[in-house]
Amino acid sequence: MRLRRENKLLVEPPSSATGDIAFNLIVFFLVCASVQPDNGRQQNLPKSESKDEKQQQSENIEVAINRTNVVNINGTPYEGTAAAARLQAMISAKTRPEDKIVVLKAAKETSYEWWTTVVVWIEEAGGTITIQREEERTIMAD
Amino acid sequence: MKISRKPSRAEVPSMAMGDIAFNLLIFFVILAKAQDDSHLQWKPATAPKTEQAAHSRVSIVIDKDGKLYMNGQEIGVGQLAAAVSDQLGEAPAGERVVLLKVDREIQAQRFEPVIEAVGEAGGDLFRILEEKPVP
Repeated sequence: MRLRRENKLLVEPPSSATGDIAFNLIVFFLVCASVQPDNGRQQNLPKSESKDEKQQQSENIEVAINRTNVVNINGTPYEGTAAAARLQAMISAKTRPEDKIVVLKAAKETSYEWWTTVVVWIEEAGGTITIQREEERTIMAD
Repeated sequence: MKISRKPSRAEVPSMAMGDIAFNLLIFFVILAKAQDDSHLQWKPATAPKTEQAAHSRVSIVIDKDGKLYMNGQEIGVGQLAAAVSDQLGEAPAGERVVLLKVDREIQAQRFEPVIEAVGEAGGDLFRILEEKPVP
């Protein structure tokens, strides 16, 4: 008969590898933590405009928005996607690039989400945004 | 009588390499955190047809409380144009990308002056948005 020997030796994990393990753990968590949204849309940026340009702009399409779902296009209210369709029709009817400039007047309480939605409608229709702020300061896109 | 010297060997202790690497890493992480805005809380607005952002020199955040940050540091709207201009320096067109991250609930009176400031500084504005799922 064969007897089994009991192995009572203590087995310690190799302590020299703990630094490497810590290093790899940190790299792992850093990679996990650095996932941030980095998608978006380019926007032609506004520049200050002179009074002459402002006068010329009165012939451009004017879009006014507030916190509701209604978009006023040249003074006529449109709701939701009807506004998108109207903008598409109006902008595509223009031929000269300078006529495709759309003056966007957002009420102070307009949310960024709604503002972005309307801006995307204008951009998709081929328009260029000019932001007109309530304090009578106008900024214009190229 | 000439006594021969025993050549002594000096070795770099390899046991400490892991700890050195660890401490270096911590150092660079802390250094990077100073210009990072990943700790700020904001929910992006949604839009269709988004694209990948290019490398940017400046990142502007308006968080859910309406606070304005540039490269992770809180800043006032009045100082923004000059600060962005400083950061962009003489960079040529195409390398003047400014990322704009605005919480979706922020109102126009807060974010429009920021857009204007970036325009004054001559930055190429890139709005960070969440892809809107197609219905």
